[in-house]
Amino acid sequence: MAKTPIGLEPVVGSLTPSKKREYRVTNRLQEGKRPLYAVVFNFIDSRYFNVFATVGGNRVTVYQCLDGGVIAVLQSYVDEDKDESFYTISWACNIDGTPFVVAGGINGIIRVIDASNEKIHKSFVGHGDSINEIRTQPLKPSLIVSASKDESVRLWNVHTGICILIFAGAGGHRNEVLSVDFHPSDIHRIASCGMDNTVKIWSMKEFWTYVEKSFTWTDLPSKFPTKYVQFPIFLASVHSNYVDCSRWLGDFILSKSVDNEIVLWEPKMKEQSPGEGTADILQKYPVPECDIWFIKFSCDFHYNAAAIGNREGKIYVWELQSSPPVLIARLSHAQSKSPIRQTATSFDGSTILSCCEDGTIWRWDAVPTD
Amino acid sequence: MCREDSRLHLSAEEELAAEESLSIYCKPVELYNILQRRAVRNPSFLQRCLRYKIQAKHKMRIQMTVSVSGIVNGGVLTQSLFPLYILLARLVSDVAVAEYSAVYRFRRACILTSFTGIEGSNQAQANFILPEINKLAIEAKSGSLAILLVSFANGGGCCLWGRIPLESLYMSLEKSPNLSLGQRAEMTLPVEMHSCSLKLNCLNEDKCILIQNSSNSLSMLQVIISAEEAGAKEKSPYNSYTCSGISSSSLSHIIRLRAGNVIFNYRYYNNKLQRTEVTEDFSCPFCLVKCASFKGLRHHLPASHDLFHFEFWVTEEYQAVNVSVKTDIWRSEIVADGVDPKQQTFFFCSKQLRRRRPKSLVARHVNPVFLEPNLPAGDCELLDKVHGGNILQNARIGEVECVQHVPSSFNVAGVSGAAGQSYSDSERVQSVSGNNLGPPALLQFAKTRKLSMERSDPRNRTLLQKRQFFHSHRAQPMAIDQVMSDRDSEDEVDDDVADFEDRRMLDDFVDVTKDEKQIMHLWNSFVRKQRVLADGHISWACEAFSKLHGRDLVKAPALIWCWRLFMIKLWNHGLLDARTMNNCNIILEQYQKQGSDPIKG
Repeated sequence: MAKTPIGLEPVVGSLTPSKKREYRVTNRLQEGKRPLYAVVFNFIDSRYFNVFATVGGNRVTVYQCLDGGVIAVLQSYVDEDKDESFYTISWACNIDGTPFVVAGGINGIIRVIDASNEKIHKSFVGHGDSINEIRTQPLKPSLIVSASKDESVRLWNVHTGICILIFAGAGGHRNEVLSVDFHPSDIHRIASCGMDNTVKIWSMKEFWTYVEKSFTWTDLPSKFPTKYVQFPIFLASVHSNYVDCSRWLGDFILSKSVDNEIVLWEPKMKEQSPGEGTADILQKYPVPECDIWFIKFSCDFHYNAAAIGNREGKIYVWELQSSPPVLIARLSHAQSKSPIRQTATSFDGSTILSCCEDGTIWRWDAVPTD
Repeated sequence: MCREDSRLHLSAEEELAAEESLSIYCKPVELYNILQRRAVRNPSFLQRCLRYKIQAKHKMRIQMTVSVSGIVNGGVLTQSLFPLYILLARLVSDVAVAEYSAVYRFRRACILTSFTGIEGSNQAQANFILPEINKLAIEAKSGSLAILLVSFANGGGCCLWGRIPLESLYMSLEKSPNLSLGQRAEMTLPVEMHSCSLKLNCLNEDKCILIQNSSNSLSMLQVIISAEEAGAKEKSPYNSYTCSGISSSSLSHIIRLRAGNVIFNYRYYNNKLQRTEVTEDFSCPFCLVKCASFKGLRHHLPASHDLFHFEFWVTEEYQAVNVSVKTDIWRSEIVADGVDPKQQTFFFCSKQLRRRRPKSLVARHVNPVFLEPNLPAGDCELLDKVHGGNILQNARIGEVECVQHVPSSFNVAGVSGAAGQSYSDSERVQSVSGNNLGPPALLQFAKTRKLSMERSDPRNRTLLQKRQFFHSHRAQPMAIDQVMSDRDSEDEVDDDVADFEDRRMLDDFVDVTKDEKQIMHLWNSFVRKQRVLADGHISWACEAFSKLHGRDLVKAPALIWCWRLFMIKLWNHGLLDARTMNNCNIILEQYQKQGSDPIKG
């Protein structure tokens, strides 16, 4: 990270809550004793905006957030292998709109569960090691991308069960890939980050014909010509330690490492020479006591706010699109002391969920300001 | 020093055979030689321990006994002296605690329960082991060691302690003539006993005794110290091996053997002949490790060298071992007859080979051979990948000359000499070697990429069907027909990706025009697909390229220009001859004519 010239230093947010919105705890669930590693609202299907899923140990559970702080348990799936430990979950759907729950974990197998008929739809084998994150392409929800400890990122089609592309190789990550995200509007771009301290941006443009072919492939999935994409179009060393969560904010990227802050930066790519480019750091959102890896943040649907937990059990809610950054609220509860692995923000940001290392789910609701 | 048993007279062949059977004994020695060289820097643990033990046994030490004979001048003590503790202690130099006048550190305390010479006393002397006299001198000079006599307060008395400094002990030992002669030296010393208060500190191994308030001497004890050198028994290796009842002089006709000498008799040539060898210091003749005694050797030999059978016998004159080869072992550890075990495994892998091997062949040197099969199926696949198939029907590795003829059988084509051609003629290739000492001939594999379905062993096929297989690059599960098919996609270059990467690489260049990049890309792609590898291929490649891309080239004059420039470059480097360049240009002209004709109408 080069020295920034005067006037171009990143803007750091202040930690005094602005109290634009107040939250209070409305529910607390104990889901067993195993740590819960992920919690995700379903943003794919508007019918299910208040449905969320969590994973912990070898269990996947689907809940619904109801009024008055009530959380209803809808479905629960348990993997046969009791040594499986799921690390991530994502909502996807079929081309006809049936909701899928996609989970992956330490066994390296991605389980696509059809939530409508409660059966397993497909299992994706191929990753060589545990899976750290799965994300769905909101523009084409049959496509999911998975980031794995085997240093690769794979693009799958849940409809036909095909592994379309593998993003790994000479230019790929050199250590575990911890997080990956699709660009919200550019269907060809994904960003991945990992333990090699880099954030890489990949393009699927040249291989888009294969992606389209995967929808109409009738032969065996294993006969599909899976391609290796070895070179990213952009490489950034914004952080100096493990980067465990990265999300697109329009054309900018929000990424965090283990140095107690989320960084917003702009990747400036050089047209002619891929692979060379600069990262222009715009803002920093400090999060105290957030220095262990595998803590992920979440945003509401319109990316107005981001909620992130820390290892003391507190949640910081930042307003993303204001400069200088504004801290909306700092949520803490006397009994919430265990590290929060992931938060989930509802569609409009009025409900924030957190899943913790001690197996608890906390629900915070915004206090109506009237 | 060997004695040969020359009772048998042997013919020349028999001599050879005899030598050969004796060589069985030599092979392990060679192996151990190699191991020994390696063990110079990295000795084997057990051997090293044994060596240390033997060395320790031979180390000289002084064994010292301390006993108290009585009180000097017949004095009487006010309290009971016993139990008296004798310690070999070291003065602790940094006396941190000021109230103590002396602090000593010791390891072990010996208890004396009575004076010496009293009947019925069980513990009347204390034994210590000191280093040999020269080493003792250094210790003594340091002045910190001493022998302490300590008696704790019992029966209402006070503690007593007395001290014999080691320097005075050393000086008396040095002066004593008996010690240097290897005999026992005795001396009597008077020791003053003082009363004091004692404190004992025991912390793990190190025990400390703290003395304070030492008063004047109360009484004097008479202490007897005797010392003797020990461990020096085997000073001279020439001590004759004595056995009870026989004097060495009567055995003068036998060579005077050292105590560690062992005679080894090797039986060979079906136990008809015998050769003798003598080793010293109880060493093993194979691995040269020194055993500590004959008993040790007796255990070591059958344990470490179980190729041979050993008989041990000890007589008045010598200790001997008879060695003979074990014949009941199932497989030979030694690569006998020069047969390479690598070859042997391939013997049994294919049933067809067994059928073909003639029975008369001496089973020492056979080169199993894999025939070059007919490869119609495989080659067709190769052709499919290429556009404009009629140019490249014969594009097997290395051969580019035969563009014109389309052969009916692919075997005939001048394929690269990698063993493919010669074997199609001969059914079997054998080389019988009479000399078993020559190096075994290596397997000659035909470099076939595909083996026809009939050749694979049915047994292997069932194994392939039993479990799930995965593609090596994509880790996707393979269908059974993919597993069984002939196609091996292991190292295939993915053409699309290679093209893409090639384009990207070219894009990186900033000083090359678009057309130049296009020509470069077309050429790279062509070369990769056609496997143009050698200089000699270039002329064919240029002609083929012109034919392939001619139509597109003539449509873009800039491209033709680049292509012609490239051909000139090749000609500059001597890779392209003038005639071929002319041919290429003729081809391009033809395309041009074709192209312009419709325009003219």
